[in-house]
Parts: sequence; structure tokens; C-alpha cells
Amino acid sequence: MAAVHLSEAEKVYIIHGVRDDLRLDGRGCEDYRHMEIETDVVSNTDGSAKISLGHTDVLVGIKAEIGKPKPLVPNEGYLEFFVDCSANATPEFEGRGGEDLGVELSNTLYKVFNNRLSVDLRSLCISPGEHCWVLYVDVLLLQCDGNLFDAMSIAIKAALFNTRISKVQLSENEEGGKEIELSDDPYDCMRLDVENVPCIVTLCKIGHRHVVDATLQEKACSVASVLISVTHRGTVTCVRKMGKGSLDPESIFEMTEAGKRVGKSLHAPLMRLLQEEESLGQKRQKVGFLG
Amino acid sequence: MPFDTKRIRGPEESQSPLLFLSPAKVPESSSREGVRGNGDVRPVFARCGLISQAKGSAYLEAGNTKIICSVYGPKEIERKDETDMKTGRLVCDFRLAPFSCLKRGAWIQGSEERDLSAALLESLQPGVCLHKYPRSQIEVNVMVLENDGSILAHAVTCASMALADGGIEMYDVVLGCALRQNGESCLVDPSYTEECGNWQAGYGENQGCVTLALLPNLNQVSGLTAEGDMREDTLTDAVRTCMDGCNKLYPVYQQALIRAVKKKAPPPEK
Repeated sequence: MAAVHLSEAEKVYIIHGVRDDLRLDGRGCEDYRHMEIETDVVSNTDGSAKISLGHTDVLVGIKAEIGKPKPLVPNEGYLEFFVDCSANATPEFEGRGGEDLGVELSNTLYKVFNNRLSVDLRSLCISPGEHCWVLYVDVLLLQCDGNLFDAMSIAIKAALFNTRISKVQLSENEEGGKEIELSDDPYDCMRLDVENVPCIVTLCKIGHRHVVDATLQEKACSVASVLISVTHRGTVTCVRKMGKGSLDPESIFEMTEAGKRVGKSLHAPLMRLLQEEESLGQKRQKVGFLG
Repeated sequence: MPFDTKRIRGPEESQSPLLFLSPAKVPESSSREGVRGNGDVRPVFARCGLISQAKGSAYLEAGNTKIICSVYGPKEIERKDETDMKTGRLVCDFRLAPFSCLKRGAWIQGSEERDLSAALLESLQPGVCLHKYPRSQIEVNVMVLENDGSILAHAVTCASMALADGGIEMYDVVLGCALRQNGESCLVDPSYTEECGNWQAGYGENQGCVTLALLPNLNQVSGLTAEGDMREDTLTDAVRTCMDGCNKLYPVYQQALIRAVKKKAPPPEK
């Protein structure tokens, strides 16, 4: 993963700053960097979103395809995640360099969404046991400046909000076989309920405190971090300790509590923003990638 | 290849017939088959030093979960490009035998196994004194022979015993414990049916699985993974319960390690 090298003196400077609740860019310990979100940025997708969080840029595209439901859950569709670490972000990702990070990120996403409440998978079913919608969620990292997990999850929530799946109808032909009919009206589509989609909050332990939304420099000072994905109701769908250090049980409790608080407060403004953006409709000025 | 078009061909992908069992057959998770209480761990059997070629090895059984682990190294680092040479490197390889699960797996390492390898590495790393092994790597290979739930937790314990058996310097042994939260009740050290049980069918609240790795003497948590949908207070309780579970099993593993040491270097007879 893209990493920066810091001298001991620089590390001490950051750690002491965090101790006094003051970070390099003037933020407090539980503040996010400036965040910009734009949805509907790629026309060939069914839903897309781009987020820039500080200098971290993530683009998410969602494509819906018709597939076969899994035999264990015949009346549900499913989501597939793929994270691509583009060589644009850092030269280390060239070739297969970003593969390990990509697999780690996508596995985490599977875990975050591995529950029945995040996305209503039953609404993705077309005919039980035969056809369902498969949502391919493709994440592209364009620029890495720390906190990939949080940026990625927010972008996915925005992209799922933006997703429009065409309505299909099942009809039987003369021979008794089933046929799928696509609606003629391109605006006749189904929306997903994204209310329960969780957002990931990563807390990095620095010294005796923890910070939210760590930059690469701050990450270099921390030996262990905790990733928590929180829904708008404050329930936790995934927790993972990351990094090569260990943590005191008490600090884990503190961090989960802080993660819940921060994560919960993330959802309402995000949803408001997404609805506001959508209400602008066609009048909205597109910013795109140079914004 | 020519084939008989008159013959009805089977589906391209084969499925286990067990997948089509009626959901009513899944056992109630609260009963625990009347054998143990919800907070009880399964009895474990642990032995060290069964693979003679390896530097250290361990075998662990908990109920029907059977795990074997071997440790090789420290040896010279293979890829010298990335990591700094002041500390050693721990390499973990987690594999599920193809016949270990209900559904047959592939021999090639899948994404689930890669994920488990990463989780295992993160849990073990804080316990090993890697700075004592500059320019070298230590390989940990874990093979699950039979999967009856809580594999990651037991793999962590098994791997740390193998490391200890191999004489790798460690701060502390790393013990794992898993938990399955089902509404208000929680099941410690779940079996495979309890692990996925009615979660597959249920939309209930407070469902989830937690796996914790603990350094018992230092009282530090070296690994934590949780998934599902749980309230935060449930999660903290689950973490505490898992820590209790680790401490319960600690004497068993201590005995196994002492036994292994005595076998390797028998005390002088007087």
C-alpha cells in the first residue's frame, strides 16, 4: 500500500499534536477532511458516484445484470464487489502490485454487507430460484491519501442511492416457458432503499488517543487501527482490527463507541446531500473530475 | 468434443444435495443439543510437535473442528524488495482442505482463505518478537482438516502453539475465541450449524459473529473481526465474553506446551 516514510522527529510531532487534540491540518481528533461527492458521473453505469476526501479519490460504478440466485437463498439477489487499485494512484499498484490491497478491500466490503438489513436483497429477486439482479459494485481508486475504507463506503452508499434498475416483467409464452420483458420506458425503474447501508469509520490509534480519517502521515504513526461499519441506527455490521499492533481491551471499547458516534452522525448529512443533489435534476452543474 | 444431443445433460455446476434440505432441519441454536451451556466452550485436544520436518507444529481439535499447523523458519527472506530489513517477516498461509466443509472447496486458495490468512497474520503478528529475526521470514501454514465452526479462532491458537513449539520468541501466546450472537443470547465457540444456522433464513436483530484473539498475560487484544448486525453494547459484551472464553482455555494450552517442552528436553533424572 502507498506509504510515506517519516523520521522519528516527525512522528513525535504528530503524536504530540494528537495528544493535544490538534492535528497537522488543524482538525480535531474526530473530524473528517473536506469531502466532495458527486453522483451520476459515468453514463454507462446504472449508478455511479465519485468522492474526494482530502486527496483520496474514489470512483464507484454499479452495473446491474440478470443472474441466477444462489441455491441457499433462492429468493434474493446479491452484490458483487471488486476493488481495482489503479496505477494512477501510486506506481506501486502497477501490474499486480495493487492486487493484495484490492482483495483486502473487496473482502472487507463483502463482510460489511454480509447481513440482511443493509440492502433489501429480496427486492432484487425477479423469479425465485431462476432469475435475480446481480449488482456489480466496482470501485476504482484514483488517488490514495489515507482512509480508503471510509471514502470507499461513502461512495458506495452514494452510488447505490443513484442506482436505477430497469423494471422487468415475467410473462409466460405459449409453451409455458417464462420470458423476461424489459419495460419500454427507460425512466420506468426501480430504486434501492439505501437507508440501512452502512458507512465505514476507521479509527487509528495514535499514542493514547485515536483519530478518525487519518492521512498517510498519521497512519505511519499508528500501529493498530479499528475499522467499524455503522448504520444510521447506530448498529455495527462489521468490525476489524487492522495493523500489526495489539490494542488494550479498554481502548477497543472506547474506539467502538467513538466509531458509532462518528458513523451515526455521518449518515444524515450524507442522505440530505444526496437528496438535494437529486432534486436539482437536469439543472445540476456537473463538476466531473477536474473539480 | 462430440456429445450425444439426445441425452439430458446435467447442470454444468454441481451442487451438494445438502443445500436443498428443508430449512426446518436446521437445529435450534438455543438448545445446543443439550450438551453444553451457551457460555461453554467445546472440550479441546491440543498436541505439539507432530510434524517432524517442521520447526514447530501443533494439532488442535475442538469438537469436530480439526486443525493442523506447521511453522518453518526463520529462514532468509524471499522477496527482498519491499519490507525493511530490521524486523523479520511473518508469512501466513491458511487453507481449508477441499473436503473440510459441507460444500466441496477447490484446492486453489480462494478469496475466503486469503482473507482468513490476512486475519490470522494480523492476530499473530503482535505476539511474535519479530525484531529478533532481522532479514528473515517465518512461515506459518495452517490447514483445516474439518470445519465445524470457529475455525479462525482455533487456527490462531493452533498457530501460536506451533510457533511456541518451534522456539520462536514471543511476547505471549495468542489465543482465539469465537462467538455467535443470536438476538439476546450468545453462543461461545459455535459449531458450524450454529455459526450459519438460522442467520441464513433470519432477518432478526442483533445477529452476528465475533472472533477475538487475545494475548492473555499482557491482556491485549491482537485481533478482532465481527460481522452481522449488532448494537454497540452487544458488541462490547461479546468482546468481554470472548476474552473470558480465551482465559478459560488458557490452562489447557499451557499444559500442552509444557508437555511438548518436557518431551523435547526431558528433565534430568536423579
